[in-house]
Amino acid sequence: MIENFNRFVLANIGALLDGLWVTTYVCFWAFLLAVVLGLIACLIRMRLPYVRVVAIAYIEFCRATPILVQLLWVNYVWPEVFGFPQTVTGAGIIALALQSSGYLAETFRAGFEGLPKGQREAALAVGMSRWRIVSRIEAPQVALVVAPLVINQLAVVVKSSTLVSIIAISDLMYQGLKIVNQWYEPIEVLTTIALAYFVFLFAISRIANYAYVHFQTKFGIASSQ
Amino acid sequence: MFAALHNAFDPALFWEYRVALLTGLLQNIIIFVESAVLAILLAFVVGIASLSRHGAVRWTAIAYAEFFRNTPEYVLLVWVYFVLPLIIGTALGTKVKLSPHVAAVIGLGVAYSGFLSETVRAGLRSVSYGQTESALSLGMSGFTALRRIVLPQAVRRMLPEAVNQLVSLFKSTTIVSLIAVQDIMYQVSMISVAEMRPVPLYTGAALLYCVVVILATQLFQRLTERWRRRGWA
Amino acid sequence: MDGDRPIIQVRDLRKSFGSVEVLRGITIDVSPGSVLSIIGASGSGKSTFLRCLNYLERPTSGEILVDGEAIGPSTAPNGQRTSGASPRDIARIRSKLGMVFQQFNLWPHMTVLGNVIEALIQVKRMPRSEAVDLGRRFLVKVNLLDKKDEYPAKLSGGQQQRVAIARALAMQPKVMLFDEATSSLDPELTGEVLEVMRDLAREGMTMLVVTHEMGFARDASDRVIFLHDGKVEEDGTAAQVFGAPSSERCQRFISSALS
Repeated sequence: MIENFNRFVLANIGALLDGLWVTTYVCFWAFLLAVVLGLIACLIRMRLPYVRVVAIAYIEFCRATPILVQLLWVNYVWPEVFGFPQTVTGAGIIALALQSSGYLAETFRAGFEGLPKGQREAALAVGMSRWRIVSRIEAPQVALVVAPLVINQLAVVVKSSTLVSIIAISDLMYQGLKIVNQWYEPIEVLTTIALAYFVFLFAISRIANYAYVHFQTKFGIASSQ
Repeated sequence: MFAALHNAFDPALFWEYRVALLTGLLQNIIIFVESAVLAILLAFVVGIASLSRHGAVRWTAIAYAEFFRNTPEYVLLVWVYFVLPLIIGTALGTKVKLSPHVAAVIGLGVAYSGFLSETVRAGLRSVSYGQTESALSLGMSGFTALRRIVLPQAVRRMLPEAVNQLVSLFKSTTIVSLIAVQDIMYQVSMISVAEMRPVPLYTGAALLYCVVVILATQLFQRLTERWRRRGWA
Repeated sequence: MDGDRPIIQVRDLRKSFGSVEVLRGITIDVSPGSVLSIIGASGSGKSTFLRCLNYLERPTSGEILVDGEAIGPSTAPNGQRTSGASPRDIARIRSKLGMVFQQFNLWPHMTVLGNVIEALIQVKRMPRSEAVDLGRRFLVKVNLLDKKDEYPAKLSGGQQQRVAIARALAMQPKVMLFDEATSSLDPELTGEVLEVMRDLAREGMTMLVVTHEMGFARDASDRVIFLHDGKVEEDGTAAQVFGAPSSERCQRFISSALS
C-alpha cells in the first residue's frame, strides 16, 4: 500500500495541492461573503419594517434548500436570469455563501437579541450616540458570543465545498476524483483526501471550542450554546 | 431579464415529468428513512459508550464522534462507495460490490451518527445522576435504570436537536445523486439534459425542496411543542 | 433470623476521593429496630458514610455487612482485595436498604403511584395489580393517596419527599437510610416529613438518619453518633450525647446547632 501511496498520491501531489489551493480560495471568499450577507440580512430583518419580509424569506430559503440544489441553481439559472456569475468559481462561491448566510443571519440575530437590554440603557444614560453604542458596546459583545458559531460555519463551508467539484471547479475533490477515474485505484487517494479534510476541520472545531470556552470564562458572557 | 425570469418558473414542465420527479423524491425519502435509522442506532451505541466508566470504550466513542463530525459527507459517501468494497473484498478474499443505494445509506448514516451521538450524549448527561442513584438504591440494575428512568427523560430532551439533525440529513440526501442513485436531483439532471432547459428545472427543484423542508420543520416543531405542553419534555 | 445479630456491621471503613481521605476508619454495629442519628459538620463524611452502606460510594477499604452479607468488593488496608458481591448481589442487597435523598430524586416522567411501584415491578417482578395495591397502602401511610395520579412536579417539596419515603418503604426494606432528608425543604415543610420519620421509628424500623435536625436526633433516636473529620468522635444514647458529651468539639457543635 505504501508504494501505491507513492504512485498515486505523491506522484500527483502537484495536482492535489492545486486542488487544495482552489478549495482554500473558494472557502475563504465564500465565508467572507456569507458573513457580510448574513449581517445585512440580520440587520434588515431586525430594523427595517416592511423589507424585513424579504429578509425573512431570503433566510428561510437559504436554510431550507440543500447546498447541492443551490449550487446547481446558481450555476445554471443565475447567468441566464441575472447575468452573473460568469464563472463556475463565482457560482461556487456565491452558492456556498448563500447557504451559510442564512444560518449566520439567525446566529447574529440570536446574539443581538440575547444581549441584556441594560447594556444599551446604560450607554444611553451616559449619553452615547446610537452608532457608538452599536459599535463599541453591542457589536463587540455579540461578536464574542457568536464567535464559536461563526467559526463553526466556516467548517460548514469547507464541508460543503466538497460538492463544488460537480460544477467543474478544480478543487481538492475534483483533482482526487480525476486521479481515481484515471487509475481506478481509489484507496490511497480518497483516504488521504478524507484525512486531509478531517485534519483541517478538526483544527477548526478545536479553535471554535477554544473560543467558546475562553470567551465564556474570560468575559463571563453566557453563550447561547 | 424578465423574459428569463418568466422562463425560470415553469410549473407545466414539472407537471409533465411529475412521475419521474416524484419517483425520484421517493428515493430521497427512502434513503432518508434508512440512513436515519442507521444513524440513530449508531448514535445511541456511541453516545452511551461515550459515558462509559471504561476509558478505552469512552475514548473510542469520542474519537468516532470527532472523526465523523469533522469529515465532509460527500467525501465519506465517495469513500464508502469506492473504497469500502475493495477493503471488504480484500478481507474476505472475494470481489465485493456495493450498490449505490446501500453505499448511500451507509455513508449518510455513518456521517450523521457522529452528530447524533453528541446529541444523545448531551441528552443523557442532562439527566441528573440522582435519578440513577435513586433507582440503584431500590435495587434496580444499571441497565434497568438506564432503560426505565434515564432514557425516557433523556430522549425528550434530545428531540429538538435531533430534529434539526434529521432535517439536515434529509437535505443531504440530494448528494446521493452524485453516486448515481436515481433520486430527484438525478431525475432533474436527466430531464434538464433531455429538455435542454436547465433553468426552470433547477429553480423548481430549489423551490420544491424549500417548501418540503419548511413544511417538515414546521410539522416537527408543532409536534415537539405539543409533547412539551403535555409535560413530557 | 438471629435477632441479636446487628443488622449492619461496619469494620474500619475508609473512603478516599483521590488524595482526600473522607472516612478514616469507622467501625460500628447497628442493631435491628434501632434509630441511629448521625450528626456532624459539613464535610465530616456523614453522607459519604451512608452512601457506602448501599454501595453508591465504593469504599476504599474496610468491610460492610448488611444482614450478614458483605456488600461490594473492598480492599483491605494491606492492599488485598476481598472478593465481595457481584453486581447482581449488590442490587439485591440494596433492595433490603431503602434510601431517601436530600434532593428527593423522584422520577418526573412517572406519576406518584408510578414512582412508588416501579421498583416493585422491575426488581421484585411483582405483577402490576399487586404492586398497585401495595403502593397504595404506602401512599396512605404517608398521607398522599389522593395525589397518586399526579406528576411529581405538581407537588410541594414536603409532599415529594413523603412520596420518596413511600417509594423506599414499598420495597419493605430492613433498614431505611435518610440522607439529610429535610435539608432541601422550606422550614414549614420539614414538619410533615419528620412526622413520617417519627412514625416509622415508633413502628420499629431500623433507621440511619443523617440530619441537621437536632430536635429529631435528640427526641426520636435511640443512638447518636457525632462524626468529625471522618471518624466517630462521640457515640452514645441521645441523652448522653446531647446531655453530657465527652468530646468538646461535639459539645460546641451541638450548642451552635441548637441555638
